[in-house]
Amino acid sequence: MSRSFTPYFLILPSFLLAAAIVLWPLKEIVSLATHDVNRFGMLRDFVGLANFQSLFRDPDFLNALWRTLIWTVGVVLGTLVISTPIALILNEDFYGRGLARILIMLPWAVSLTMTAVIWRWALNGESGMLNSALRDLGLMDQNIQWLAQAATAFPMQILIGVLVSIPFTVTIFLGGLSSVPDDLYDAAAIEGAGSWDQFRLITLPLLRPFINIAFVLNTIYVFNSFPIIWATTQGGPANSTDILVTYLYKLGFRLGRLGDAAAVSLIMFAILLVFTMVYVRLAMREEQAA
Amino acid sequence: MRRRKLLRSLVFWVLLSPIVVAILFPYAVMLITALKSPTEVHDPTWWPSEWRWRNFPEMWETSGFAPALLNSLYVAGLTTLGAIVISIPAAYALSRFRFVGRGAFSQFLLVSQMLSPIVLVIGLFRLVVGLGAIDNLSALTVIYIAFNIAFCVWMLQSYFATIPRDLEEAAWLEGAGRVQTLISVFLPLATPAMVVTAIFTFINAWNEFVIALTMLRREDNYTLPLRVFSLVAGRYTVDWHYVMAAAFVASAPVAVIFAWLQRYLVRGLALGAVK
Repeated sequence: MSRSFTPYFLILPSFLLAAAIVLWPLKEIVSLATHDVNRFGMLRDFVGLANFQSLFRDPDFLNALWRTLIWTVGVVLGTLVISTPIALILNEDFYGRGLARILIMLPWAVSLTMTAVIWRWALNGESGMLNSALRDLGLMDQNIQWLAQAATAFPMQILIGVLVSIPFTVTIFLGGLSSVPDDLYDAAAIEGAGSWDQFRLITLPLLRPFINIAFVLNTIYVFNSFPIIWATTQGGPANSTDILVTYLYKLGFRLGRLGDAAAVSLIMFAILLVFTMVYVRLAMREEQAA
Repeated sequence: MRRRKLLRSLVFWVLLSPIVVAILFPYAVMLITALKSPTEVHDPTWWPSEWRWRNFPEMWETSGFAPALLNSLYVAGLTTLGAIVISIPAAYALSRFRFVGRGAFSQFLLVSQMLSPIVLVIGLFRLVVGLGAIDNLSALTVIYIAFNIAFCVWMLQSYFATIPRDLEEAAWLEGAGRVQTLISVFLPLATPAMVVTAIFTFINAWNEFVIALTMLRREDNYTLPLRVFSLVAGRYTVDWHYVMAAAFVASAPVAVIFAWLQRYLVRGLALGAVK
């Protein structure tokens, strides 16, 4: 009898704490999102979906929503595409591999906030070293004010996002590659498969579950990522680099529109939930078909 | 054979070089700026005329670095301890027991990962205000512990699953009780896993930004990322050489530890991810 209770007893503390810190705020957010809230956070009348309706009339919100899509797709796809060859190389035996691994993992060790603050300085128009490096290389002859307009700031933020997401993704891929048995390649080589065929027919299918997990986790992380944009432009100039998380933060803590901010939270949660469910469904169907 | 490896190494390094340059670029900028003299900071040269090591002690005195360092140590240290102590039993249960609700608990952990701090930040803020714990480092620590549980359980469980059961079963046959086996057989074998997980939790807490930004008000309570951010945000003149010196001192120790341990992450994350 006592044994059947043991596992529940063991998971209880972690369950309670995680549930309290997730469910209580969630309850608060739901009640804020469905009420008229003044800027000091006092709940007034129940308004149903009025906060959501006002959000969908707010061009800043709609732009942030659209930009979040570009941001997430850009960073995640960029990361996956660049990480695959890196992981394949790092999985081979060559001189200096340990050093190469450490260098590529470096952004993971440094706080995103610090990296973003450093980039903010490196991208500075007059004194920034990116401009001077590009000029020295002869790639341009005039300084660019990278962070002064969205047309250059946002692509740069996506680039920074890719650079800091590579370590995690490469790590997942390396874990996957280490599980591919060598004799499969030997057998394929005997059958006369070239290296491209080996990659296409052996590596890629076996790496599939790892690519899937990297895709899902990266999408969740990038969609929720706040420090890069906040520490470089704070969503500016004039909200032109805002994504949902930064706009949510502004609504809640700068503009005092707590009801709207809570509504953005719920919309974000809904998007994440739908994404995960659709993805899990697709991945499962694929597995059954295979 | 040696020559072939040499050639291959050369090709690989050439292929990797664009990404290595892109990754190292900001950190090179950081280090160079941190060592420039104030008159030269706004001059985007790669080789300062004078390497000014004095920037570091000056930054230490002027930027409020020391209190932020202590705050970060306090918060990250206690977060690590708390998250590990709470996660070990849960990870042990997931790897050693079959029970109703096991799958549901794993799912719950995944969802709690999805509901990241930033999505919940408005609700968390109200929770903390309601408890009167705004600007309180211990409250921040409790939130960090909660948000690190999923990661810790995930990592620990994937390592625990690789520890063979035979050893525990042998101890039971010898007449040792379950708890005694746990303490004298299982936990010693699990120590490396716990150390690695602890260090990554420490780094997570050390680097966290958005909850600290929301919950901390007074400058005395700032953690390091917040401190460095506040040296830049909303100021007309920024002493970039001090900012970069502070960023360097805050990042370097963690980066070194991380570099040393990153290979353990490959194993733990990959195993946990696919199961």
